[in-house]
Amino acid sequence: MSAQSDSSPQPEAATAVSIELKDIVQEYPASGGGITRVVDGVNLVFERPGINMLLGPSGCGKSTILHMLGGVRPMNAKTPTSGKILIDGVECHDAHDDSVMVFQRYSNRPDLSVFDNVAFPFRLNLWKKRVPEAEWRKRISDMLESVGLADKRNLRPSQLSGGQNQRVALARALVLRPRILLMDEPFGALDAQTREEMQLLLIDLYKERPCLVVFVTHDVTEALVLGDRVIVLSPQPAKIADDFTIDVPRPRSTTWQRSEEALQHEKRILAQLHKAPGKGTVRVTV
Amino acid sequence: MAGANGMNGFWNPYLSPPPSQSRALGIGSVVSVLVLWSLLAVTGLVSPARLPAPWDVVRAFGYLAWNDGESMLFIATLWSVGRLVVAGILVIVIGIPVGILMGASQRINAAISPLVDPFRSAPVVALLPILVMWLGIGEAMKIGFLFTGAVVYLIPMVRDAIQAVPQSYWISARDLGATPWECIRKAVIPMAMPRIADAIIVAFSVMWTYITVAEYVNAKVGLGQLIQNARRFSAWDQVFAGIIVIVALALITYQLMIYIKRRLYPWETQL
Repeated sequence: MSAQSDSSPQPEAATAVSIELKDIVQEYPASGGGITRVVDGVNLVFERPGINMLLGPSGCGKSTILHMLGGVRPMNAKTPTSGKILIDGVECHDAHDDSVMVFQRYSNRPDLSVFDNVAFPFRLNLWKKRVPEAEWRKRISDMLESVGLADKRNLRPSQLSGGQNQRVALARALVLRPRILLMDEPFGALDAQTREEMQLLLIDLYKERPCLVVFVTHDVTEALVLGDRVIVLSPQPAKIADDFTIDVPRPRSTTWQRSEEALQHEKRILAQLHKAPGKGTVRVTV
Repeated sequence: MAGANGMNGFWNPYLSPPPSQSRALGIGSVVSVLVLWSLLAVTGLVSPARLPAPWDVVRAFGYLAWNDGESMLFIATLWSVGRLVVAGILVIVIGIPVGILMGASQRINAAISPLVDPFRSAPVVALLPILVMWLGIGEAMKIGFLFTGAVVYLIPMVRDAIQAVPQSYWISARDLGATPWECIRKAVIPMAMPRIADAIIVAFSVMWTYITVAEYVNAKVGLGQLIQNARRFSAWDQVFAGIIVIVALALITYQLMIYIKRRLYPWETQL
């Protein structure tokens, strides 16, 4: 899997990237003194484009792992406490530009229009040097078309629905054509119907330009609908409880979701999650 | 509980009455005070030496506005506004960058905060003699006093405005490749602007309250001097007129700045 797209004009092929997590441990100072271990010895390797679901009960430490991958560090503790994160074999210490995150709560700026929200990164020195203005303007127009917001480009986030706001966040991430897309329960705050729409949109966008997606969720159905690979984490402290692949083309129909195969996957996941009933909750939507 | 007055009653801080009703209540209370004031004057319950009648104040206003071919009031207003504007520009040019730096770095804040924050509750008026000693009795002292009085309010407000911006915007910008300083400049400051504008508005309100004190010492002309002078001759009607003019100017400044702020940052109210 080394489809090297050198400098030749092959914009649609995502460059391969590998991420390796080695013995990741994360501890935070606990509120009543002492320390809380949030992540307990996680080893993971992601090697090829694909949608990887990190599934676990809420508050189990899966977001912590995702934030580590993005190099977005919390202010009050060393991250990770021990262990290494390697991106293409290079240890990553800080925010890096291989990955872009999509957060659960929209990070859209209320003072900027839809267009300017998506254009925000291109006005930073890093991207200014990389992408000429004519090109990013074209990219944004195309992207807004793809996410169905072409006619909303001049509106502000407050004038959009929750789903539309997440479309903006998704557009801003994908317009950068990242090698790694990190999604932190991006559809968790949406209603069921909108969540389904967004899942389908993500599948479409992914098909256009596959990259390495790490998608955090506590929704078992979401993991089964989207994932090429599902990594199940135990309740806090997070450990890998299970790790398997689903080799079914997307979009996965409701018929498939009710098939024996899907039910087996679901049982397998729930069995793991129920092994150590923690404080967190899991959502199963039928 | 949706009993009588449950959702739309008198005691409901979230329910605004119809605008006409609000206006009527506001005008009503002002008129009541005027009526009460007039009654006190007419009945002679309070002697005119202690409380001039409203019509005397109006007459004094007319006298100050135009007498002997010149308008004392207009010239005094020009001088006071001039001092306020110069001090205001200094407050903005110096105070906002300091506040932003304090907000942007906890270390800078730790270093500067003990020098600034105590003055919010310190009697700035008590600094006047010191400012006279340092800056003399001329314009520098008056502007210096207004500046000091306002900047100690503005700096902490600007700092708090910066720190009130949710961290998620900082994190998101950082993730998208912004340098820390770019995060401050391109994400945090734009998000803090409405509250920074509030700080400027407060600074100007504070300066209007201090203008009389600033012009207390050796002012040849100005609204504070005008009041001071009138007081010396026990012309209480003129004192009242002068105070009313200052209050009116402060109110106009406030409304104008609020209007400009809403035009510049319409998104704030939509949050």
